[in-house]
Amino acid sequence: MHNAVIIGGSAGSFRVITRILHALPKHYPVPVLLNLHRLKHVRSGFVEALSIKSNIPVVEPYDKESIKPGIAYLAPSNYHMYIELNKKIALSTEEAVNHSRPSIDLSFETAAHTYNKKLLGIILSGANKDGAWGLKKIKEAGGTAIVQDPKECEVSTMTETALKTTEVDHVLSALQIVDYLLKIK
Amino acid sequence: MRKYEIGIVDTRNILKAIKEAYDIDFKNHALTFFKRRLEYIVERYKLKDADALIAKISGDPEFFELFLKEVCIETTELFRDPSLWRYLMERFLQDNIKGQAGFTIWFPEVSSGEELYSMAILLNELKLLDRVQFVAGSISRLRLEDLKAGRFDLSKMEVNQANFKRIFSDAELEDYYRKEGESGFIDPALLKHLKTVPQNTYYDQQPRNVKLIMWRNQMLYFNQILQERLLKSFYQRLVPGGHLIVGMNEKIDYWNAGKDYILVGDNENIYKKRYS
Repeated sequence: MHNAVIIGGSAGSFRVITRILHALPKHYPVPVLLNLHRLKHVRSGFVEALSIKSNIPVVEPYDKESIKPGIAYLAPSNYHMYIELNKKIALSTEEAVNHSRPSIDLSFETAAHTYNKKLLGIILSGANKDGAWGLKKIKEAGGTAIVQDPKECEVSTMTETALKTTEVDHVLSALQIVDYLLKIK
Repeated sequence: MRKYEIGIVDTRNILKAIKEAYDIDFKNHALTFFKRRLEYIVERYKLKDADALIAKISGDPEFFELFLKEVCIETTELFRDPSLWRYLMERFLQDNIKGQAGFTIWFPEVSSGEELYSMAILLNELKLLDRVQFVAGSISRLRLEDLKAGRFDLSKMEVNQANFKRIFSDAELEDYYRKEGESGFIDPALLKHLKTVPQNTYYDQQPRNVKLIMWRNQMLYFNQILQERLLKSFYQRLVPGGHLIVGMNEKIDYWNAGKDYILVGDNENIYKKRYS
């Protein structure tokens, strides 16, 4: 029922992402697109940190790289990451949106166009409003929207804004999100 | 958040209108990028829809100059990716320029100028500026005028400063520019060896005997046809052993023409012309 998963987060989401990547099996049946705010100038280290406990490969994609199942694609620092209709990644250095580059909204919106109702979008702990609008676009395209329970978020601005903006399908704890993801076949 | 949406058909019509009015051809720019850019321009200039944009482009050459400026995506900040600039400073420039005069560095699309300003500051710190000739092109006349004046956007000074400090511990960025209103102006002495060249969308105006091409985060906006064409023509313009630097997340060996280059230099996406 899902052909792709896209996850957005910022402050406080690193541990949840690590937990998710640790739980997903090798040969996970769909691609996992990650858009996490982080420091601009720190180019290396993040993928390596996420990879340590991950069972699936975590990559920072090149521009025009094809999206394949079973791989986690992390939006590179200081680029927007768009999901193109031909299931390729497009990167860009266009203006920051909501002071963010990468912008979660832009990744979510273009993924919604590409995967429509087969897309699962998840917003995790985070410190700004980015992602709320994109999650709404996923719902409008018929996809599924999950928000991490703000009560357990280290920083809840992102999840609370998302809940205000969109009628989501599920509000789940990190553990429940992992369970949900494991049901995707 | 946005937004007005422009469809693919509208996008094609706008491409056609530009071609008819100005004989400028954007058909090899990445279509989805171009569509996004049109949406941005419609919002930014408060136009009603795609038809209004077409009318404005066709009837108002001054607006079209602004349009071209908006299509050239800013190079974002001074010393973007500090580790690259550190590598250039510590290894690459000294090794390559040593003993040479008239070392031509070409910026085919100089856009908002930060890449060139960064290079000029770096060379000045290395006392190599006088060995170098800059050639900078742009499809936007306004961008080239800004470049000649040394103008840049002050709103990103925080990032510019932070990047600068990661490269130079005992120099001050303030020594290299003055403020005037919203803009910064780079020290004109840094630009004394600068030649500017207006470009078409195929970047056909190409200098000869180029030692280094700075081409970071530009291919992102082109389709494969234009990428291949440019990589081929750059190869012709580079001297033997010349280098091409592309963006951190750009890869050129997808394409046939990319096979003419070898990746060198510690993960910094510096390519060297392969000897044929």
